[in-house]
Amino acid sequence: MLERVTLERRATAPFWLSVATYLGAVLFALGLSLIILTATGVPRDALFQELVMEVFFDRDGLARTLTAATPMILVGLSAALCLRLKFWNIGIEGQLLLGGIFATTVALYDIGGAMRLPVMMLAAAAGGALWIALPLLLRLRLGVSEVIVTLLLSKVAFLLLQHMVFGPFRDPTHNFPSSPVLDAVERLPRLGFGNVHAGLFLALAAAGLCGLMVHRLRFGFAANLTGDNPDAARSLGFPTVRIMVVVILLGGAMAGLAGGVVVAGTEYRLTQQIGLFATFNGIVVAALARNEPLAVPLVAFLLAGLAVASGSLKVFYGVSEGIILTIKGVILLSLVTAQFFTTFRVTLDRTGTTERAA
Amino acid sequence: MSRAAPVAETRPVPRALESAVAREEGIALHLRGLCKSFGTARVLEDVDFSVRAGEIHALLGENGAGKSTLMNILGGIYAADSGGVEIAGRAVSINAPAQALSLGIGMVHQHFRLAGPFTARENVALAAGALPELRGRGRLEARLSEAMARTGLEVPLDRPVERLSVADRQRIEILKALSLGARILILDEPTAVLTDEEAGRLLALMRKLAEDGHAIVFITHKLREVIAAGDRVSVLRRGRMVLEGRPVAGIDAETLARAMMGEEAVARTDPGPAAPRREPGEVLLSAEALSVAADAGQGGVHAVSLSLSAGEIAGIAGVGGNGQQELAEALVGLRPMSAGRLVLKGRELSSAPVGARRDLGLRYIPSDRARFALALNAPLSHNIAAGEVRTGALGRALLSPGRLRALAARLIAAFDIAGATAGGARPVRLLSGGNAQKAVLARELDDAARLIIAHSPTRGLDVAACRHVHDRLLEAAGRGAAVLIISEDIEEIMALSDTIHVMSRGRLTSPQGPRPDRAAIGRLMLGHA
Repeated sequence: MLERVTLERRATAPFWLSVATYLGAVLFALGLSLIILTATGVPRDALFQELVMEVFFDRDGLARTLTAATPMILVGLSAALCLRLKFWNIGIEGQLLLGGIFATTVALYDIGGAMRLPVMMLAAAAGGALWIALPLLLRLRLGVSEVIVTLLLSKVAFLLLQHMVFGPFRDPTHNFPSSPVLDAVERLPRLGFGNVHAGLFLALAAAGLCGLMVHRLRFGFAANLTGDNPDAARSLGFPTVRIMVVVILLGGAMAGLAGGVVVAGTEYRLTQQIGLFATFNGIVVAALARNEPLAVPLVAFLLAGLAVASGSLKVFYGVSEGIILTIKGVILLSLVTAQFFTTFRVTLDRTGTTERAA
Repeated sequence: MSRAAPVAETRPVPRALESAVAREEGIALHLRGLCKSFGTARVLEDVDFSVRAGEIHALLGENGAGKSTLMNILGGIYAADSGGVEIAGRAVSINAPAQALSLGIGMVHQHFRLAGPFTARENVALAAGALPELRGRGRLEARLSEAMARTGLEVPLDRPVERLSVADRQRIEILKALSLGARILILDEPTAVLTDEEAGRLLALMRKLAEDGHAIVFITHKLREVIAAGDRVSVLRRGRMVLEGRPVAGIDAETLARAMMGEEAVARTDPGPAAPRREPGEVLLSAEALSVAADAGQGGVHAVSLSLSAGEIAGIAGVGGNGQQELAEALVGLRPMSAGRLVLKGRELSSAPVGARRDLGLRYIPSDRARFALALNAPLSHNIAAGEVRTGALGRALLSPGRLRALAARLIAAFDIAGATAGGARPVRLLSGGNAQKAVLARELDDAARLIIAHSPTRGLDVAACRHVHDRLLEAAGRGAAVLIISEDIEEIMALSDTIHVMSRGRLTSPQGPRPDRAAIGRLMLGHA
């Protein structure tokens, strides 16, 4: 007897089912993570404290989580906007670095006078947009895969960043490769809650505006249609190329803005570390938010909590980076599996007599 | 109301005896009473078919007649619901593609099954993986060179397949099948992708293989080639064999065309709309010597001139793949014209974008609605409101969700779209084909529609849905729109059109007289005019 597993796409997933599967996935992931962590020697009673209380309910921890979430929201939006048009932006890091470089340039050359900070943010967005324009052009004109071009341009951007921090932007007062520290007017104001800065509002506003565009604007409607079926959108007379250009440049701009926010909000200088994990974080956030801009902040917040918790696990309990990655993997796979079960209905056929049984 | 009797007689012969006869007559492959349904759609009904070693048996049928399903059953990709397959007189069951191969059935699919970055040699080796007796490089090489010597085919064996021409790739498919020991070779519309000269060469090769003792099944919808190359011919229409195993020698193109398109159905419903129903109004569309350049696998359009007036329904009949798709896309603005002029409502629009044409009232019902008309994962309401969204009628910058939902609800009711919730929130992919097509109509046949290009608007629809589509198109013409119907379904063309044109090899011809008969249309379709 051959058992057949059939997958059937659900017409619609009932709300309770989504809630139940996601909750189940979170609990499953937490359970598995607890087993892994206790096995590596973290005391069991400290786990809940570190993973949940410290990062979401403790004042300092919450502040750290929100600070970490700020650029994650922006890179998540970048990936989500591009993915909505089936454009795989694997070069978020590069766009972020360009944003950082552009913002730093504005600051160091004291451009913009009293409007310095807004000009920095605009420059950051422009830098990100610029860095995605080339892969976009190659894709639209020559059909070159954006996956390769965006990915490789990240490496180029990193070399450019190194050039800047070792060369023209190097702070002469010490030996570390970084730019001089930004002036007070060039910093995003703190909100009096740990290191949380005005960049958080910027990120939330960006998510809100993207949500507005996608759900309410005529342009967003056209963009959704173009993403779902470009041929149909073209047949209906929508200017699909123009739509693609605008949305993808906007996606690049979000990543660039993230770079500006990191430089002006937390680092206060251009360093080599500002783009770490940006692409990975962006894609994970977008995937878990299912490319829904309004869900991006929440997902970014939870993942930022995980990032902060793993930091203290590393420092205080000597948990290795490998274990941290394993736990991240467990959580992501559980959530993705939950998405799978809400999308498909799985049935086991025990009769084994139909079609393919041989 | 009598169904035309299948032309081939079937005598009741005891099974054992018949099998013995089969061996004697050299019947290589025999299908008996094959049935296959997908869900509620019956795709094959009680199909009998046989092919002898040494003959080319042409299998004719329109798109959707069931040819590909039949082929996939033989290839072990689908399982038949009932019925039997015999090979050389022995009953077999084909449950997997590897089994079909080991039974000596070789397929040359319309879309080649070759791995592009691999060489011909590697592709053959890849396919041979399913056959244990062919493992080992030497044996396979020997088979391959033997097949090449036998057929006289020369192909570059060590270049990646993706760098070869379409004709070369097809030769590799044939060599692959022969190397793997195929005695029964099934070719699915093999000439569709070839130039006339290459097609001629392929037909000669098929003849050679047949003389060599292979059984060749030649699936096509080109009557010309059947008559030129076939020994016997069978015709599949709507899942039934309407003509089985008739010698080609004693048959003419008109009989075949009739069998393929179903004359008895026309005879039932064809009182013919009595002459022009409407006084034609102003000229809305005029195309002068419109040409579209040919590209890979498509023949292009050559100097088509056409004029359409308000209230007129014009039909373009013809076998698919003769330039209809290119013509439709050029009219809509999806494909550039290479020469000629297109005037819409008095405005020269030869190179205007789709949007500008739609603003003048041009609407498009494409033959491939899943690709060119609908976003399957988007809600029904978005799909049917998309036209109005584009014009800004539902809000210039900010859309009004309330008005969008109201429009959707009104159209869902007006077009009787079943399977939709009131607001049309469920995605279109959950609708049946007929209801999805109604959604396209609901969007395209709005009040501002002045010129409607409908390409195979009823393909794949059931009778009730067909009627609905036809009624809507007639209504639109009644409101003063010009309608251009491009269809392979000659019944549809004859039942709806005021004027009839025929497209063949990228050219448009118009039969003489106000009500041309089927024979005249058939001759034009074959390019004999």
